[in-house]
Amino acid sequence: MTTTALEKIRNIGITAHIDAGKTTTTERILYYTGVSHKVGEVHDGTTTTDYMEQERERGITITSAAVTCEWAGNRINIIDTPGHIDFNIEVNRSLRVLDGAIFIIEGVAGVQPQSETNWRLADRYNVPRIIFINKLDRTGADFFRACDSLKEKLDIVALPLQLPIGIEDQFRGVVDLVGMKAIVWEGSELGAKFHDEPIPEALVEQARAYRQTLLDTALSVDDAAMEEYFEHGDVGVETLKRCIKAGTITGAFRPVLCGTAFKNKGVQPLLDAVIDYLPSPVDVPGIAVAAEEGQEESEAEPRRIKADPQAPFAGLAFKIINDKYGTLTFVRIYAGTLRTGDTVLNTTKGHRERVGRMFQMHADKRAELKEVSAGDIVAFVGLKDTGTGDTLAAPQDPVVLERMAFPVPVIDISVEPRTKDSVDKMTIGLQKLAAEDPSLRLKTDQETGQTILSGMGELHLEIIIDRLRREYGVEANIGAPQVAYRETITRAHTETYTHKKQTGGSGQYAEVKVTFAPLERNTGFEFENSVVGGAVPREYIPAVEKGIRSQSDTGVLAGFPTVDFKASLLDGKYHDVDSSALAFEIAAKACFREGMKKAAPVILEPIMDVEVTTPQDHVGDVVGDLNRRRGMIQNQESAGSTVIVRAHVPLKEMFGYISDLRSMTKGRASFTMQFHHYDPVPRNIADEIMAKSA
Amino acid sequence: MQPPRLHWMRGRVDEGDGKPRTLEWIGIDDAGRTIARVVRVRGPLASGWRLYRAVALDAQGRVVELRPTPPAGAGWLACVGGQVVGRAALPLQAVRTAEAALGGG
Ligand SMILES: Nc1nc2c(ncn2[C@@H]2O[C@H](COP(=O)(O)OP(=O)(O)OP(=O)(O)O)[C@@H](O)[C@H]2O)c(=O)[nH]1
Ligand SMILES: [Mg+2]
Repeated sequence: MTTTALEKIRNIGITAHIDAGKTTTTERILYYTGVSHKVGEVHDGTTTTDYMEQERERGITITSAAVTCEWAGNRINIIDTPGHIDFNIEVNRSLRVLDGAIFIIEGVAGVQPQSETNWRLADRYNVPRIIFINKLDRTGADFFRACDSLKEKLDIVALPLQLPIGIEDQFRGVVDLVGMKAIVWEGSELGAKFHDEPIPEALVEQARAYRQTLLDTALSVDDAAMEEYFEHGDVGVETLKRCIKAGTITGAFRPVLCGTAFKNKGVQPLLDAVIDYLPSPVDVPGIAVAAEEGQEESEAEPRRIKADPQAPFAGLAFKIINDKYGTLTFVRIYAGTLRTGDTVLNTTKGHRERVGRMFQMHADKRAELKEVSAGDIVAFVGLKDTGTGDTLAAPQDPVVLERMAFPVPVIDISVEPRTKDSVDKMTIGLQKLAAEDPSLRLKTDQETGQTILSGMGELHLEIIIDRLRREYGVEANIGAPQVAYRETITRAHTETYTHKKQTGGSGQYAEVKVTFAPLERNTGFEFENSVVGGAVPREYIPAVEKGIRSQSDTGVLAGFPTVDFKASLLDGKYHDVDSSALAFEIAAKACFREGMKKAAPVILEPIMDVEVTTPQDHVGDVVGDLNRRRGMIQNQESAGSTVIVRAHVPLKEMFGYISDLRSMTKGRASFTMQFHHYDPVPRNIADEIMAKSA
Repeated sequence: MQPPRLHWMRGRVDEGDGKPRTLEWIGIDDAGRTIARVVRVRGPLASGWRLYRAVALDAQGRVVELRPTPPAGAGWLACVGGQVVGRAALPLQAVRTAEAALGGG
């Protein structure tokens, strides 16, 4: 397929907080690049990228969708991602495979909580970004305040390349600080004409000052450009663009553009900026190969794979979709070329896969390809066992690419089918949905035999149940959402346990002495073997670890998974005839059960970062209510007549918050929340939880 | 925008780890005399028994100014006649600072 030269490809994502206008911007891009001839609107349920029924009904993006378009002789592959934190996995996996991103923030609210979360995600994967301040047509929009929020909340060098001409309903266009001219749209309808004109008199002074900042900042990354400046007192447009691109790629600064997607202003210059400043696959250092097992991350610079169609094949599977035609596996190709029917190695799992057919995806439509190569993002059909995050590589260079990190599910619900005979159908459906979505976990409760789904939030699980019904024809009943509690310990304790059993013939014998010690939050479970002198024979050590690990799934207080502790095996005893791996495993489990009780165990609960946007006159009610919900107010900020309240609130207290908030503020307030950290629950609530689990 | 009054040239360059980095820009007048200098603040630097966090070396390798830590937003020092006349986050800003310090003349 790659008739487009690599330097003329841009693989980019669009990411932002909820409702910032990602889908609307994508839709305008498709229109202005000539891909679509009419524009869909989110509120009409007619956009290209929000193609799922649930997306169209709700006016939100749930799943990321890939589309392709052409601009000025370049091919742009765009992934539109959801803003809602419940679907954050979609942003995560998209950013992982993209070379650049348009980062949208809202002109009224500026940087919002999920802007921050997604910004950090993009940082993690070193994705070059340009920022688009959208919705400048809205009442209360303020370009400069939004820029300040970028600096303050994201701690970045936000570098305006444009200034707005007019604001709110008077917003007409932008001053282009690179070309030092004004770009003005003649209307706000779709396809409105625009033209260049001199910078309006009233803005000349401001434009000069911002251009000086632009030069100061951009030229500092390129000494040759500095020399050009010293020689002529200015630099040419090409030089300036080269410097902006270099700084964008290294992240020395982040270019800022602006407009209103909905009113069709600012989209064409945004496309120009994507081509001018975001990298092509050959402009980035190349994807890193995962560190070898046992090798410290920091030890050496990782090997990087350059985008080269002639090199051995390497790609990363980043998304799986099961539809009526079978399983589609989305793959970002980093190197090499592949033809239909070729075989590749899944180096993560260690088996071969044959690529049946290959497609270029355009939202939910597809075009078959016979050949794909470095730089492409395509979907494969026919892979048997390749999951999200797996590497596919040529057998002659079986590299494993760096894995992705997945978010932690914080909410559990129990599900059961309405009719007994659809149990199997439900299980298969849920397994398929979980295979698509690494932020969804499926387990069976040991005691009740119920199926438990763990996910990112109420909306996430609601959508899953809805998909189960629509796509797999299973009506399911769900229990009330439960907080995904954890358990941990707060002091170290050493326990010795002897497992001894005489059953007819050979007996069972094992003794272990284990120290259980608390670890820092988010470190999980560590096992250490400190046995000296063979008190526990080497072959039994793994059984001890296995016993503790499996028992830790059921905490000693209320049966929740136990995390953030270390178990050190200090000593033990064995018997030549009666000891076995099984005996040691049993002893280790019992030792955990006895020992952890004495290590001051506590229950941990997820604490959410909550942001409520409310009109001034309801602030008192909102804050009072958050306090009643055990919330800790972090700060309060006003933007015009609205106030943004930020608080840390236990997830348990947030169930059903949306309806309470609506009635409290007559529907005028809104909120978002995301997982922040785990904290021990207060005594009385711990008692409540334990009573329930007993 | 005010074009620079002096002729500014690339001074010393740090060749460390493959990527050359300009450490200073030298401002020369029409007669070819060095009038001003804009020097990148670096650190840490071990000198004798002390470890300096922020340093700017002049052409002779002398320490122009030391600070326990680099002050925020001051990656460059503007120097005129061996005197530090100001500091700035970016080299072009430091150039303007140095030229402003030269005053009307
Ligand atoms: N006034 C105004 N409204 C806009 C603009 N851009 C988008 N909107 C509206 O804002 C709402 C949200 O837009 P979307 O494009 O769905 O936002 P999104 O970022 O894709 O939202 P999620 O995918 O659900 O996170 C819609 O009602 C849009 O019509 C704009 O520039 N100005
Ligand atoms: Mg959307």
